Amino acid sequence: MEAIATLEQVSYLYPGATEPVLKDISLTIQRGEFLGIIGPTGAGKTTLCLALSGIVPQFYGGRFFGRVTVAGMDTLDYPISQLARHVGTVFEDPEVQLIGTSVENEIAFALENLCVPRAEILARIPRVLAAVRLQGFEQKNPQELSGGQKQRLAIAAALALQPDLLILDEPTSQLDPIGSQEVFATVRTLQQELGIAIVIVSHAAEEMAEFADRIALLSQGRLIAVGSPDDIYAQVELLEQHHLRAPEVSAIYHALGQQGITLPAVPVTLAGGLAALPVISTQGNLAPPPAFSSPVIDQQPPILSAQHLTHVYDNGTQALHDVCLDIRPGEYVLVVGQNGAGKSTLVKHFLNLLQPTEGTVKVRDRDTRHLSVSELARSIGYLAQNPDNQIFNTTVEKEVAFALPYLGYPPNVVQQESLKSLKAMQLWSQRQTHPLSLPKGERARVVIAALLAMQPDIIIFDEPTTGQDYQGACSILEVSRQLHQMGKTVIVITHHLYLMPDYAQRVIVMGQGTILLDAPLRQAYHQTELLQSTYLTPPQSVLLAQELSRLSSQDYPLITPQEFAQCFTPELSEEVWA
Amino acid sequence: MANLKFQTVKHDSLFTRLDFRTKLVMMAVITLIAFIWESPIAGGLLTLAVAVACVFAGVRLNYLGTILKFMLPFYLFLLISMGFFNVEQVKLLSGQAELTPLLTLPQSWWLVGGAEMTVEGTLYGLNIVFKTLTMILVIPLGIFTTDVNQMTVGMVRANIPYKIVFIFSSTLRFVPLLLEEVQSIIEAQRLRGLDLERMNWLKRGRVYASVAVPLILNALAKSQKLEVVLQSKAFSGSSNRTYLHESVLTPADYIIMASFIALFAGAMVLYVGFGVGKFPWLLDSSLFSYRS
Repeated sequence: MEAIATLEQVSYLYPGATEPVLKDISLTIQRGEFLGIIGPTGAGKTTLCLALSGIVPQFYGGRFFGRVTVAGMDTLDYPISQLARHVGTVFEDPEVQLIGTSVENEIAFALENLCVPRAEILARIPRVLAAVRLQGFEQKNPQELSGGQKQRLAIAAALALQPDLLILDEPTSQLDPIGSQEVFATVRTLQQELGIAIVIVSHAAEEMAEFADRIALLSQGRLIAVGSPDDIYAQVELLEQHHLRAPEVSAIYHALGQQGITLPAVPVTLAGGLAALPVISTQGNLAPPPAFSSPVIDQQPPILSAQHLTHVYDNGTQALHDVCLDIRPGEYVLVVGQNGAGKSTLVKHFLNLLQPTEGTVKVRDRDTRHLSVSELARSIGYLAQNPDNQIFNTTVEKEVAFALPYLGYPPNVVQQESLKSLKAMQLWSQRQTHPLSLPKGERARVVIAALLAMQPDIIIFDEPTTGQDYQGACSILEVSRQLHQMGKTVIVITHHLYLMPDYAQRVIVMGQGTILLDAPLRQAYHQTELLQSTYLTPPQSVLLAQELSRLSSQDYPLITPQEFAQCFTPELSEEVWA
Repeated sequence: MANLKFQTVKHDSLFTRLDFRTKLVMMAVITLIAFIWESPIAGGLLTLAVAVACVFAGVRLNYLGTILKFMLPFYLFLLISMGFFNVEQVKLLSGQAELTPLLTLPQSWWLVGGAEMTVEGTLYGLNIVFKTLTMILVIPLGIFTTDVNQMTVGMVRANIPYKIVFIFSSTLRFVPLLLEEVQSIIEAQRLRGLDLERMNWLKRGRVYASVAVPLILNALAKSQKLEVVLQSKAFSGSSNRTYLHESVLTPADYIIMASFIALFAGAMVLYVGFGVGKFPWLLDSSLFSYRS
């Protein structure tokens, strides 16, 4: 196979940095291959992508060692604009990377910069729009597109340059499941039909295992391992060591392996996992389905209540229709659904940021229409998707105490409450640190400490795991667990179902402004058809458990890899795989 | 998407069909004439003409209303200050030794007692009101009736450096995003329990000032990302590039450009030769005649 890009002993330090962000990396990318790059935050993944497009070091400066070639051109010898003809790049943030005022302008922009004749630009626009299935959108403003459409447009703009190599740096981290699926499907088609080499950085382990030809694992600037998804994702311990998550299928079969049920090769895709199931399930080493206790239904009066809630926006869009919902004190509720399903609109009613068009919303027994936003803020703490928007001060301590004087707390109470909050959120030792110098997961913890100082009964997390790596997501969810253990009512809005089994008790699935399902988590996760109908991806453990139920004719309502692995007894394993 | 509606009119009219260069000439001529004329009557007629053109072009009336509402305190201040204090300049412009009193404050009033507001001073203030209104209204007439793409290409064809044109079009693209961000930050503050509705203006000011911290940090982070994006799109700021959109001057454009240039020349001839548009124009016979 012919190489389209090579890195030879590449090391790089950003200007002013003392530690290299890339350390002695050698890697060859073949023409037409799909290479996935994985690694924890700070591994150097983005820098590696920028090195392939010549932006590192040409734009940033710094100290660069080794050699990078793209389409036979040394990235130090050719200007970025010339390299751009061979390397297309799609970035993480769909808002920032689209600079055109219309879809066709967005595609034309780079071509205009490269002095491509107008007739040629006009010829390429429909071709690339067809490749990403955005025909008919030429005159639309990019801001009117959905997240997935925006990323597809960014891909189309990169494709218009007719690159040999397309680099996508976490293109799905800010998208909902539909958007994410759209992007992966588009990229795979491009690779298969146009033969473009793809380099994609992503935390979406299940998708990477499915689509990539090879995976490169980066950690702390070093290339730790390169291999097929089967090689890399089978090494669950190696991934855990680098704070990465394996696909659930790998986690399950790895756990089985640790129990002595070893396979010749650990399956890493759902199809592989399903195919391996009949072998183990017919050999008689399957334990009977475990009994899971049903959650106790609390009869306390609701702390949050929406009755026949309908909301119509000024432009006539009906965002909520006849929603009835009671949340009781001490519950941990997960709200899931696509963008536009009505999740945020519902939550904004609890905070009185929106008022019902019809129906009522109550916090305890008080109608929110009679409460101000700040009064409600004392009962409900709201962690925004971007915690940085809620940070205004120069130290963690000042941040936590910031709102309290405005609420009329005397200075001694301000001090007392902020101290209590800082200790509860394990921030006491960092109280003099600038909040924005902390990692994102920690910044969320600072905002939660600030909310906690107001002693709310309810905490709402709005998409807390979006844009986070696995470790960051887990650290925020651990905080949510801690708050729940403190007796708070916790509501989490997220698309990442696989992260939640250890935390939430109840799931509310929303779609098209209505509640499609309101059930205990275990029950809700097994409504796979309903979840898939609203483009939510059930965890692989659930899908494997359903297949196991079908094969064994018993009901296995399992939801985590651990539960799944525990259903198999190790004694018979040798016979099974012998 | 309200911001997009704010930028362009939906209504198709002569103005939407003209090339942006023609509109630049139109805007320049109207602004110059408004700047030169001192007559409140001529200035008022010009403002009225531009306002009617705005309505005809489809600029929303509530937008015009918002401008007036926003400018009203400033205009009231202008009329009062000109009426009371602009004496020497108005004497010179009207050629009168004495000005006509409109009202006199009672002598007993502390500090300002006995101050006199004059008719001529107030009329001069009115002229400045019309001047600024014309200059403000001509912007939506030229900008809101032009598609951003046409504006960009028109500016490039008018030999404005591409870097400046790019800054202009990026502003149109990113300002609405920035405003959305301000909104979400203020919302986030309210959700941290800050009762903005019940705060006095001093406290509220302090809270609003704190919006600047995340806003600037977010804007810096975004601009850094944008720089990298632009690099990957081979952007250099050079005017040596091709354009997807074409900017073609039609005969109607040439006729209107020539008409506006002729209008400017005519206005200057009438101004210098016959005093049309000078401060005392048409005021002489009615207001000032009894004095002579």
